[in-house]
Amino acid sequence: MIPPALPTADIESIRTELAQAKQHITTMNFIVWIDRESNRDWVIQRASKISEKHPSRTIILDASPGRVGAHVRPLDANNPNHQSTFIDIGVADMTPQDACVLATSLEVPDVLTVLCWSAESLGGDTAFRCFFEGARPVAVVDSSLGVRDATTILELAQFYKEHSDVSLRDLAWMRLHLWQDIIAHFFDDPALREELFSIQKLRIVAGSDAEALYLGGWLASRLGWSAVAHDEFADRNGHRIVFEHERGGQARRVYSVALTTATSVYQGSVDEDDASVVRVWVEGANERPVRLVPVQAIDTASLVERAALEDGGTDEIFETALRMVQTLIDG
Amino acid sequence: MTQTIARTGGAPGGDSNPLRAGVTSSRITDPCNVVFFGASGDLVKRMLMPAMYNLRLEDILPANFGIVGFSRCEWHTEEFRVEMRKSIDEFSRSGPAKDPLWADFAKRLSFIPGSFDDKEAFAQLRAQLEANDAGLGTAGNRLFYLSTPPSLFGQIIDMLDEAGLGPNTNKAGWTRIIIEKPFGTDLESARALQAEVSKVFDEKAVYRIDHYLGKEPVQDIMALRFANVIFEPLWNRRYIESVQITAAETVGVEERGGYYDNAGALRDMIQNHVMNLLALVAMEPPVSPTADNIRDEKFKVLSALRPMDRNRIMQDTARGQYDAGSIAGKPVPGYRDEPNVNPKSNTETYAAVKLFIDNWRWADVPFLLRSGKRLQRKNSEIAIRFKGIPHRLFGEAGDSIDNNVLVMKIQPEEGVSLRFAAKVPGPKMHIRAVSMDFNYGTGFGVVSAPAYERLIGDAMRGDATLFTRWDAVQQAWEQVMPILETWQNTPDETFPNYSAGSQGPASSDRMLATVGGEWRKI
Repeated sequence: MIPPALPTADIESIRTELAQAKQHITTMNFIVWIDRESNRDWVIQRASKISEKHPSRTIILDASPGRVGAHVRPLDANNPNHQSTFIDIGVADMTPQDACVLATSLEVPDVLTVLCWSAESLGGDTAFRCFFEGARPVAVVDSSLGVRDATTILELAQFYKEHSDVSLRDLAWMRLHLWQDIIAHFFDDPALREELFSIQKLRIVAGSDAEALYLGGWLASRLGWSAVAHDEFADRNGHRIVFEHERGGQARRVYSVALTTATSVYQGSVDEDDASVVRVWVEGANERPVRLVPVQAIDTASLVERAALEDGGTDEIFETALRMVQTLIDG
Repeated sequence: MTQTIARTGGAPGGDSNPLRAGVTSSRITDPCNVVFFGASGDLVKRMLMPAMYNLRLEDILPANFGIVGFSRCEWHTEEFRVEMRKSIDEFSRSGPAKDPLWADFAKRLSFIPGSFDDKEAFAQLRAQLEANDAGLGTAGNRLFYLSTPPSLFGQIIDMLDEAGLGPNTNKAGWTRIIIEKPFGTDLESARALQAEVSKVFDEKAVYRIDHYLGKEPVQDIMALRFANVIFEPLWNRRYIESVQITAAETVGVEERGGYYDNAGALRDMIQNHVMNLLALVAMEPPVSPTADNIRDEKFKVLSALRPMDRNRIMQDTARGQYDAGSIAGKPVPGYRDEPNVNPKSNTETYAAVKLFIDNWRWADVPFLLRSGKRLQRKNSEIAIRFKGIPHRLFGEAGDSIDNNVLVMKIQPEEGVSLRFAAKVPGPKMHIRAVSMDFNYGTGFGVVSAPAYERLIGDAMRGDATLFTRWDAVQQAWEQVMPILETWQNTPDETFPNYSAGSQGPASSDRMLATVGGEWRKI
């Protein structure tokens, strides 16, 4: 079915242009939803980076006010090695349902579809959900994109409750892998493992709330804590754990983490001179010297790529952390 | 339809840390020391140290590690650090080293000067490793890398044992050894070296490195065969006419004239790299992707190779030596005029061999192997030529319907291509061959990490999948020995018999004519 807002002739011209595009390999359909003009260049730049690496049929759906019409272009006409095709469609005058139908009709069959949602909000009951009616793309959202971080996470939690079988990846969550590994690494040492059960305080400094909430939610869900207030957990024995989080450092990045136990403080902090390195150490009875951990591939393009490659369905660890964050926000 | 999943072992980090669920790390779990023998040599400077540094940048090295250089060079540790930084600045794929990671890396580097028969130097090495265990937390785990001339391998292993650095005296952790190729210069010397190695190291601790096996396209041979269903049903004598494996180089012997003149193409390339490719192409599906299961299958294939008939070696093999010529428009000297090469040398710089695998899958399918220097183009590939169609339905007079060919491209291009027949548009039923290409560069747009990074990391993890086991090395030597002996006993009076920049000697084409085919153009 052709969406009414885009004339039939335009659809046909898209298809004609696609047929002429010199694309030899397609590893995925990459659908990108944009809702703000101010975001457009940034999002397209990152989409291009992914498409350079993974030959894709990239379908940009731009719902920014005034964006209408469509055209097809190769990713980089000057570089014959770049095989992706971009279809750039202004969908401001379409309903989200029509935009979704249009995108689906332009996909290459039989390859993975990744939906990259660059809007701050999931759009209530309409836009985001349209893409899951029938089809099952890998959906990538970023709950730390906007200022209303907590709202986006709550929307996500609600969506996940209703669609627990979808492959949903939140970049804010994926960025935490480095920090999860840093924290886990402290307690890989069996001699320190008991320390996990005497944590008294968790302090996180991050550029956006989403990362701090997720990291706290993850730790709490793994250790069987429950959220008792915005800034407090309780462990299984009812002991209180203070949760402090504040904004600091680069946007969408964790800056530092400190776990205080009865005997020691386990810490990690981005190096002051080189943001691509995290300094990790322990103070107190279990003192450990500073160890340097390189920060690897947490840019948006790398994370979206990982989401596409790890198309493994649902993520139980994420789901439990998300539920914990929801409880924490609800207080 | 359900798929069975092979067992590959547990995730690093252990299950008892509740934070490890779903948080895997590519970091090597065991702390360890890596000792490079021949640390002032070219291989360490150009490949191994940049590989170690990049493993650090990628956070793959263990949290606690130490690197010890050992060489005859009179450096001290500080000079070693300066030299290694220079080599990383010049050769690392990630660009020049920078602080704070370089400073952290450098403080884990130490150097022991000494000759390879110097007991005192080996005692110092032991003291350094023990100091690293205490100071860097390397936990008694040791990986020795022999990047010296092969003639020193046996001596170094003896000295390690004598210094109490062998696995039997190291109760604190594991001890492994990486041995560069060539493993011996013939069957007898390989067995003698193996006897030296096995006196000290159990086979499971020996990592015979063939950097070819660390290349992505070589690993992709297994993926292509066993992660797709469309090829395997055709992968047998019923549908395959022949298999050509080519390892062609444009370079000459460069600074390796002295070594190469005693080796030749058969020892330098066919016995190891090319035989390994053959084993990967022809082996049966392993029951799991573990090192021993894969290496079992490779060994079985090599064991099934039909022994060379000494009376037919001249027909079933071809050899060549390059004369002066030109490569890419530049004049280059003949082999006999290269530095450190005997002006009357009878060493082959080109070798071609026709082999058969006597098993149910491959009976009577010729495997045609060739490798040479100073050829027209650098090109390593495996070409599977399928049989012709059984009955011709289409095609106008004059149309030839070519056999399907599947090519696995290893270098410099990395990818896969398939040739098949298609109708030429128009009113007539003209048929033409077309090629469908997949290239890693454009397919995934990634630059593969150098093979040494992958292989050193695997050895530190204890994953021997991409290393050659002794039984396979021995089998490969047994296969080539009759050829080596025949060639040694009958000097080729026609040498030099191909021009630099050509497709190789005419004798190679004659060899192929016996199975009714021709070589793919290099």
